Amino acid sequence: MAPQNLFSVSIFFIVFRETLEAVIIVSVLLGLVEQIVHGDIDQLTTVAQYYQPSPAQQNDSETTTPEGESDVTAKRRLIRKLRFQVFAGAGIGLFLSFALGAAFIAVWFTKASNLWAKAENLWEGIFELIACWMILVMGITMLKLDRAKAKWRVKLQRAFSDQHVDRGTRTGKWVLFILPMITVLREGIEAVVFVGGVALGQPAESIPIAAIVGLACGLICGYLIYQFASRSTLTIFLIVMTNLILLIGAGLFSKAIWSFQEYAFNNMLGQDVDDSGGDGPGSYNVRGNVWHLECCNPETDMSWGIFNAVLGWTNSATLGSVLSYVFYWLLVIAVLVRMKFQEGRTKLFGWESAAGTRRRLASEKRAEEAASDEKASPAISTIESVSSPTELPL
Amino acid sequence: MWCRQLLPLLALLSPALAGVQELWWNVTYVENANPDGLFERRVVGVNGTWPPPPIEVNNTDSLLVHVTNSIDTLATLHHHGMFFNSTSWMDGAIGVAQCGIPMGQTFDYVVPINTSGQVGTYWAHGHANGIYVDGLRTPLLLHSANETYGADYDAEFTIMLSDWYHQEHTVLMESFISIANPGGAEPIPDAALIYFSQNGSYLPPISGSHPSPVTSAVGFNENSTLPFEPGKTYRLRIINMGAFAGFYFWIDGHEMQIIEVDGTDTLPQPADVLSLAVAQRYSVLVTARNDTSSNWAIHANMDTSMFDKVPSTLNPNITSTITYSASANTTNLTTISSYTLVNDTSLVPFAALPAPNPTDTLDLVFNFATMNDGTNHGYINDLVYNSPVVPAIISALTLGDNATSQVAYGPYSFVYNYGDVIDLVVMNADKGKHPFHLHGYKMQIVNTATDYTSDDPSLNPPLVEGQANPMRRDTVTIPGGGHIEWHLDSGLAVQFITAPLQIQEQAQGRVPSFLYDQCTALGIPASGNAAGYASPTDLSGLPLGPWFQKLGWLTKGILAMAGCVLTAVLGILTVVWYSAMGGTITEEEIEEAVLKRIEEKERKGKFFGLIKKKT
Repeated sequence: MAPQNLFSVSIFFIVFRETLEAVIIVSVLLGLVEQIVHGDIDQLTTVAQYYQPSPAQQNDSETTTPEGESDVTAKRRLIRKLRFQVFAGAGIGLFLSFALGAAFIAVWFTKASNLWAKAENLWEGIFELIACWMILVMGITMLKLDRAKAKWRVKLQRAFSDQHVDRGTRTGKWVLFILPMITVLREGIEAVVFVGGVALGQPAESIPIAAIVGLACGLICGYLIYQFASRSTLTIFLIVMTNLILLIGAGLFSKAIWSFQEYAFNNMLGQDVDDSGGDGPGSYNVRGNVWHLECCNPETDMSWGIFNAVLGWTNSATLGSVLSYVFYWLLVIAVLVRMKFQEGRTKLFGWESAAGTRRRLASEKRAEEAASDEKASPAISTIESVSSPTELPL
Repeated sequence: MWCRQLLPLLALLSPALAGVQELWWNVTYVENANPDGLFERRVVGVNGTWPPPPIEVNNTDSLLVHVTNSIDTLATLHHHGMFFNSTSWMDGAIGVAQCGIPMGQTFDYVVPINTSGQVGTYWAHGHANGIYVDGLRTPLLLHSANETYGADYDAEFTIMLSDWYHQEHTVLMESFISIANPGGAEPIPDAALIYFSQNGSYLPPISGSHPSPVTSAVGFNENSTLPFEPGKTYRLRIINMGAFAGFYFWIDGHEMQIIEVDGTDTLPQPADVLSLAVAQRYSVLVTARNDTSSNWAIHANMDTSMFDKVPSTLNPNITSTITYSASANTTNLTTISSYTLVNDTSLVPFAALPAPNPTDTLDLVFNFATMNDGTNHGYINDLVYNSPVVPAIISALTLGDNATSQVAYGPYSFVYNYGDVIDLVVMNADKGKHPFHLHGYKMQIVNTATDYTSDDPSLNPPLVEGQANPMRRDTVTIPGGGHIEWHLDSGLAVQFITAPLQIQEQAQGRVPSFLYDQCTALGIPASGNAAGYASPTDLSGLPLGPWFQKLGWLTKGILAMAGCVLTAVLGILTVVWYSAMGGTITEEEIEEAVLKRIEEKERKGKFFGLIKKKT
């Protein structure tokens, strides 16, 4: 059995990525727990106000003040209790999403898989096509994962404050259970959708090991990153992961086109399809062939199968498979350039996007304010040195 | 295998008694022929009838056939197994001996039976564009007043076996030499045919049957029968006139004695089952039973091992009958335990002819492969045969002293001198067995190896030189693995040019002008080398190929791989640039952006999604 039949690399990455995001959410929640206990939850309702006049001030307003010894033990107990809630919620969310995923996959592979047994290459191509687009979306959004911590922090704080306002304090007690459960469930469902999409073309037995390993790696990496690493380390880590995942995606797109062409070729051969066998002349379509090696067949050779799963290797490349590989990467480049431009992070040939103008104006304004502040009180440093106001220790 | 010049001796025989048997054959289409009772199709017949009339000639006569082409493709007529010593332009192989008869024109074939010394069972068939597969084929029997076994039989019948296609050859060729058939699966016949002739006419169908009107004069398969009289001995001449399928032939309740193979009389040898590759012939003596209580089945089973698959609609096993009494039932024993091939090397020619010592050895290795255009072709010594522009005979006749240049005839050609004895070692690298036919010669079979790559002497026995009387025939089956029409069409052929200067010498004033005129009419050069130039070496424009596929890292593959790697690297760099090179978004900005988005959503009235709904 080919190795990719037991371990789906793409599924590994999808589970890994979604786990990582879930870990980020949980870590933000754990930070919030401390904030809730040490500070006042009501303060969070006005979290938006922190950002309005001056970042230096909000830093001050948020800092917790030391209190009495007995208070500290009580708070610690409360923190433990709330952390338990967070973990329980996340755990149940994880379990539910796993159950959902398992049910989905079970139904898919027992009921639906025989739909495409006849035209295997056609369906493989379709599924690979779906998978490679999902991977493109996922890989590119993964690059923004280093911003996820801040994003989730704001979102969750808003959620807390809304809870407080709407439901009162009694139900607010369960918020720390329900929130992680729902967010993890949400990430889990997303993962299931992705895994399902990618797994369509792959044998059922390739999913569990890849999913479990992806889950474990995601948990470990998430823990390590939030225990030890800075945002820039996370950025580097995400760059590496994204590149790996995009390599897989490009390979999948190339394979999808290859599968369509193989399907068309086999269709044309009809009954003669198994006549020649092997990898030699006659086993492939010479028209549009770019390279053909009489070895290294990923479908029959274990090691080349891994090469195929990771990089989309084929011993019989076609014009279509080569061009699709190239165009996938060109698309990635185009999307990333456009995104960075629209985020206002770069200029293109001297042009600036709306966001770019906004950012430039904002930073000019801040620089101005900093300059005037500096005049007023030289002790306070520039904006760059100020740590994020809601950055919380774990 | 010895390929021996028998002709010089035979040429000395006096042609004094010669008469001429003259035939006028207008090659025409015959519509709606349905010999197998399964499908009506257009066939190629003669003078508006099909099957073409059998030819029987006394060996004191020469045969003259005026062949007029009235079909819309080129036609030729090849008399299979006939020697055309010094008149090889009469052989009838298109592209080798002639350019092909254009539509509306006539080629007069002179078959020098009176001087060739040949007697026995042969056949004649079209040798252009597969027209014989479409029906242009007929037995050619050479009778002698003093047959070797003339006294041993009372009467004779000819038995024609053939595979049968419902599609025309051109249609089948399109799917055979096609990118959609890289495995080279030969077209599988739709039916098999057996029919009989005697004294130059076909035996009619049995009374009470309802044959197709177009062929109502001829009995086919279950509608055919051989009338036997008790106690008499018959000579049955069995010919496989098919395109592809070999046949196993036997008769229930009767014994066969082989007495002739491909026109070579042999010492009698009993056989339970005859195996006939395409173009092979056997004569057997069969003594009729003494009782008339039952009629007996004649079996002809196609060798389906050569087919890539046997369609459920195909009945490969056909039967006819021997009738003793019209009222008797037929005994049909049907099954046979196992097929055995006739071991033709164990047969002994009646007229002993010792194997001469070879003056030259030629190894011919043939096989099939998917070529660089995606189609499957046969090749010999790594070369696919294409008909030269100018047929080799015309080159030999017109090249003057350059005619001895082997290069001039194209790379698939071999030039030999008069009287050379060639040890022709034909090696079949393919799985299937292949009949191998040499025009204008009989080959002496001096050695047969089941596996020429083996060291095992039982599979690959050493050649015994100086054999006293090896078997000789014109169509030899090479085991493991010709005369399969599909393989000829796919390029499995080579050509021999023997003694070109003698050809020129003997041809002085004897070459009919229509040989050249018909080439000219077709726009083909009527002189020069294979490519039509009066040069021993310049072959520009000669059709060649397709060639073997070149696998591995060719330039285009390397460039494509480099392109893939380059774009992947560019993509990776873009990812790095996007995330890590400039334009860093600070945490504040992220938070601001998120807040802004949430506020926007709230303003629109659509609340923050899941969290609110679930709680």
